[in-house]
Amino acid sequence: MTSVEDDKVKAEEKAVNFPAMSQSFFSDSESDATDDNVFSGNENNDVGHDDVIQQDDTNDLDYDKDSVTHPPTSRMRQKKNVTKRGRSKKNTNSGTIGRLAAKDQNFLYSNSNTDLPADFQPDAVSSMFRSHDFSYLKLRPDHASRPIWISPSDGRVILESFSPLAEQAQDFLVTIAEPVSRPSHIHEYRITAYSLYAAVSVGLETEDIVSVLDRLSKVPVAPSIINFIKSATVSYGKVKLVIKHNRYFVETSQAEILQMLLKDSVIGPLRIDADQNQQNQGIIRKDGEVSAIERNVNPDDVESVFSAVVGGDNELEEEDDDLDAVHAFEIANQSVELVKKRCQEIDYPVLEEYDFRNDNRNPDLDIDLKPSTQIRPYQEKSLSKMFGNGRARSGIIVLPCGAGKTLVGITAACTIKKSVIVLCTSSVSVMQWRQQFLQWCTLQPENCAVFTSDNKEMFQTESGLVVSTYSMVANTRNRSHDSQKVMDFLTGREWGFIILDEVHVVPAAMFRRVVTAIAAHAKLGLTATLVREDDKISDLNFLIGPKLYEANWMELSQKGHIANVQCAEVWCPMTAEFYQEYLRETARKRMLLYIMNPTKFQACQFLIQYHERRGDKIIVFSDNVYALQEYALKLGKPFIYGSTPQQERMNILQNFQYNDQINTIFLSKVGDTSIDLPEATCLIQISSHYGSRRQEAQRLGRILRAKRRNDEGFNAFFYSLVSKDTQEMYYSTKRQAFLVDQGYAFKVITHLHGMELLPNLAYALARERRELLQEVLLKNEEAAGLEVGDDADNTIGRGGHSHKKGKSRIHRGEGSLAGLAGGEDMAYMEYSTNKNKELKEHHPLIRKMYYKNLKK
Amino acid sequence: MARARKGALIQCDPSIKALIIQIDSEYNDIILEELDETHILVDPRKVEYIKQELNRLLSKNIYNPLEEEEEE
Repeated sequence: MTSVEDDKVKAEEKAVNFPAMSQSFFSDSESDATDDNVFSGNENNDVGHDDVIQQDDTNDLDYDKDSVTHPPTSRMRQKKNVTKRGRSKKNTNSGTIGRLAAKDQNFLYSNSNTDLPADFQPDAVSSMFRSHDFSYLKLRPDHASRPIWISPSDGRVILESFSPLAEQAQDFLVTIAEPVSRPSHIHEYRITAYSLYAAVSVGLETEDIVSVLDRLSKVPVAPSIINFIKSATVSYGKVKLVIKHNRYFVETSQAEILQMLLKDSVIGPLRIDADQNQQNQGIIRKDGEVSAIERNVNPDDVESVFSAVVGGDNELEEEDDDLDAVHAFEIANQSVELVKKRCQEIDYPVLEEYDFRNDNRNPDLDIDLKPSTQIRPYQEKSLSKMFGNGRARSGIIVLPCGAGKTLVGITAACTIKKSVIVLCTSSVSVMQWRQQFLQWCTLQPENCAVFTSDNKEMFQTESGLVVSTYSMVANTRNRSHDSQKVMDFLTGREWGFIILDEVHVVPAAMFRRVVTAIAAHAKLGLTATLVREDDKISDLNFLIGPKLYEANWMELSQKGHIANVQCAEVWCPMTAEFYQEYLRETARKRMLLYIMNPTKFQACQFLIQYHERRGDKIIVFSDNVYALQEYALKLGKPFIYGSTPQQERMNILQNFQYNDQINTIFLSKVGDTSIDLPEATCLIQISSHYGSRRQEAQRLGRILRAKRRNDEGFNAFFYSLVSKDTQEMYYSTKRQAFLVDQGYAFKVITHLHGMELLPNLAYALARERRELLQEVLLKNEEAAGLEVGDDADNTIGRGGHSHKKGKSRIHRGEGSLAGLAGGEDMAYMEYSTNKNKELKEHHPLIRKMYYKNLKK
Repeated sequence: MARARKGALIQCDPSIKALIIQIDSEYNDIILEELDETHILVDPRKVEYIKQELNRLLSKNIYNPLEEEEEE
């Protein structure tokens, strides 16, 4: 028996244990719920237990994705720094983002049993759980009706998604915590410093968070969690920078903080004494008018969730009264940057909000949604987070591919009604954005300009829309006269709103260039997959803003907004000859061997035939161009890769969409994003970019918007072909992690029935297989490489880096011909560059914020 | 003269057979006879060793998120 099978057996054992335990533990689902909106969470039983198990296995992948990872050794030192700094400053008792990240770390790793009650008696099994024995937290008598449990040691929140209160709890948790894993029955969230920051920025108060958690929790919320929430939220979001009538105001809801700011040596003198009377106290009392509007704006915001959960309006009224009393002072435009910096230093980072309704200086844009445009409930919810108090907040909205991110962006633009700039990743999506704008809203074509390498016309009116790509705007090399003119136009004016599409692909350095070059009041980032294999995601928190909303994939697919997808991993055994060579070869060549595995080829051929007969439209993805060509030519299917000319691409895509004869196309990486093919209903993946979770999700996204998704019983199919017993198995599991966390279950298919019987099956004879092997072995390593460039990840990510590398790699030396040939003493010299150093590059500002403690 | 030797018969996938051959290639003291694609005759004393090596080699191809967490 192979150990793979052994592991499967283990997994099955686990499968038996886990649900059994959970059932006995949470079995009492007849709850005396306090809420009227009782609905059954059990209607989605179809995915079943597999999910739960998979979750168990994979939910820790993103362990630290949202906090800066420090090597464990430096942790103690950071802790000391925090305390030291705390002592040296009188006014502050908590950290900046940098220190909060450290706090997050300390919190996550510290042993929580410090708050064990004195009378706690460990029982017989306590020792097995060691520091994870939380039996001292007594279950409440009515725990069955409460849906969540919070781990006191690391802020993990476990939610019973079948509880009647789950929907409300979920709305609340999405706001205050990061969703980690959301399969059908049990969800997992994690409370982190960043997520709390996001919660505060959408207007939640510390006490509200604690009290709602307490209401929802099966056990009393542990003191460690309460302390953590308090320490993380105490200074966040207390100071706001608001632009009103084009004057900058620093606002806060607490008078003491304002006093403190005014006494500050840097900020104090920057105040403008416009209104002497009120400024004597340093306070402007705002009239209640604005907040009255605010309350009408969104019936659906977080507070209504509260009231549903908390069950009373009394508290709410009081809070609103508090909010009405806003203390503010004005600062000059040119000192904004200074104030922001100083606030950062004194640990009161400013939140930026844009009061677009009162902005009279920037001309309004005549833009409205067409009456026929319908917004789906989740889109509305995400927007309500953004416009929570009648002002626009900057932040990131996460929606699955095909769930209408574009429409969210357009609706936001229609709400703000100022000049808009949209940045996306490729010129294809530029055209798509423009077309969508014209389709969904009343924007006139003459107000809608496009800035790409072959189109540089700007709008002539006073306000309008510009769509462009990141690379066009962030380009630092010499520009043509035309594009320089456009850039001057873009940088020379004030923009109401900037939409940043696919934010996850943009590296921080480029982002800073874009954000500093273009003056926009509000920023909205859109993405489907807020994961990266490096830790750069957390930079976005700082550059754009907190994550405002993250949709639940499973929920959307149940409601029919995105297609229902069956995922399968097909295990293709390596043929003996291929495997022998595989064991002998170097890593890169191995890759070529497992991609070109004849069994995989046969599986691919079989699946294509099977699905073509069902009437599906199939896309086959291969990262490896050599394999792409081999497969496509052998099977006689059209293919597109990086160097396919534009005209041919369009031709192939059109045929795929409308021609009955062309039901299968092969795409390289270029198809991962941007290409929008609603006809496709089946995906086959034969090679991929190592363990990239994002690529897997993006590819799945190609079929989520399937046109036929609302047909009765319609399923889209996603196959990932994997060569057994090779490195590919490892990557494959890793790649799936993100989708598994979203609730997708991957079926493993070890044998495709009827594959051997397929007529004209390729490589059925040993001789053919040997010929293929010979051919593959003759290929040099280059063929094994992944396609370079021409996809979002590469083109955009590379700019800055390749530049730097170029500098360090090229050396100029002198030597005689004999010397170069080895005739002199020195025969060989190695220039070693430390790869780690290249990885650790961050913008100075980010370094300052996040890594402050590391340096000291 | 006919000679008799004790052997253990292993039945496995072709790929596992290739792995066993690789394990054998170090000292050439494991495999007695390769019978066909999926059968192989080995020295019975080496069976435990083969199992252990196979586990080691194959575990490299299995992604275990929990392990990664512990390393951090």
